[in-house]
Amino acid sequence: MKNLSILVVDDDPVIRRLLEQRLKNERFHVEVAEDGYAAEKILRHKYFDVVLTDLMMPGDIGGIEVLEIAKELNSKTEVLLITAHSSVHTAVEAMKKGAIDYLEKPINFDELFLRLDKISNVQSIMKNAQDLQFAMNTTESAASATIQDLEIQVSRQREMLDRLETVLRDGQATDEVKVEQALTIFDQM
Amino acid sequence: MIKINPAELKLISQYIQDISGIYLDQSKSYLFETRLSSVAEAYGCKSYQELQTKAKMDSTKKIEKEIIDAITTNETLFFRDKGPFELLQFKILPEIIDARSSKTALKTNIKIWSAAASTGQELYSIAIVIKELLRDSPDYIFTLLGTDISDAAIAQASYGKYNRFEIERGLDKKYLQKYFTLFGDSWKIKDELRAMVNFRKINLMQPFNALGKFDIIFCRNVAIYFTLEDRKKLFNKMADILADDGYLVIGSTESLTGICPKFIPKRHLRSIFYQKK
Repeated sequence: MKNLSILVVDDDPVIRRLLEQRLKNERFHVEVAEDGYAAEKILRHKYFDVVLTDLMMPGDIGGIEVLEIAKELNSKTEVLLITAHSSVHTAVEAMKKGAIDYLEKPINFDELFLRLDKISNVQSIMKNAQDLQFAMNTTESAASATIQDLEIQVSRQREMLDRLETVLRDGQATDEVKVEQALTIFDQM
Repeated sequence: MIKINPAELKLISQYIQDISGIYLDQSKSYLFETRLSSVAEAYGCKSYQELQTKAKMDSTKKIEKEIIDAITTNETLFFRDKGPFELLQFKILPEIIDARSSKTALKTNIKIWSAAASTGQELYSIAIVIKELLRDSPDYIFTLLGTDISDAAIAQASYGKYNRFEIERGLDKKYLQKYFTLFGDSWKIKDELRAMVNFRKINLMQPFNALGKFDIIFCRNVAIYFTLEDRKKLFNKMADILADDGYLVIGSTESLTGICPKFIPKRHLRSIFYQKK
């Protein structure tokens, strides 16, 4: 199994079946939806790494709406659009709304797999960055606790040394009194 | 990628320190190469020495700006390290408001400086804390200034637009809905928050007392890039422009021990802040 889960959304049963089969052959985890409504239902229950959706579908939920729903539910989901040459303009608009890329019909599978590879790479880099971030935060909070404790301790000791100095440099007091006072300061720490 | 030779390492390292204060370890030649190679190539330079010569001769300072943008680290996020913002909300702001109000009938003006603002997340986080704490109380005027040495960072901070990766790091969902609007694939800070802040370019190595006095200074995770000598100079200058009862917040892994005796550390819960002696 490849590391991406993909939801295929297309109202054309032939294309839907073809995409499902080819992606399964490549060992992706695939599920299908026959229109935008079905896609929404599935997305509400389950996370997919990629939604591969036709741009033009019947009903109120077309490709753009599927994109919006998927992104709202989980912004990590990447949306790839399939479009007829005549609606490339709409696809570009969709990319402004957060789609990662679009493919023109008829689908060139080499091109599709290349895009999926790229998405997979980006996701693993993102995962890597998050892990690093987590490791950095852990190190940083441990380090800052230590440094801040030391900072306070050093500052207290500095203050004690200043007080000791004042006492010991007192020209009026006898040595005995000085030692007495110095020890009191010492005990207070 | 253009390779850097030992003589150039010395030259470029000094040059970068001169223009930005940033001290780059000469043993890390890859740092220079990965960050500066594309700038050198863009100006048709075959070597880093050539790039430095060109940058020095460029009266528009365009190349110097690009070198600074390439070399500075803009790692930042909203509410980076929760501690300082809790400190601000529960300790610093209540105390400073208490100390400043009621003395006169005039409105209380409180000045806050984010000295290494990068792309603005820290200052906007401060603005959110203020907004959440005081709503729109008419009794206080807040002056929020964010400065950074990188033009590119300041430009993004001023524009207040963040992509989803920048947004997802550190920002609470409730604040996202409240203070940002969706802008294509990105989020833009709302005008009410944007109007509270100002950004401008400042090189911390140069004098900055013209900025006037501040009540609160955030200077987090920038001095770590400076030499010990430059750190001393920086925090001494900060002491000069911090109000006598003002507050200084530095990065959580930074220390002022041996750097500036004018400040003493004070603890509040898990965080530390500094005040003048």
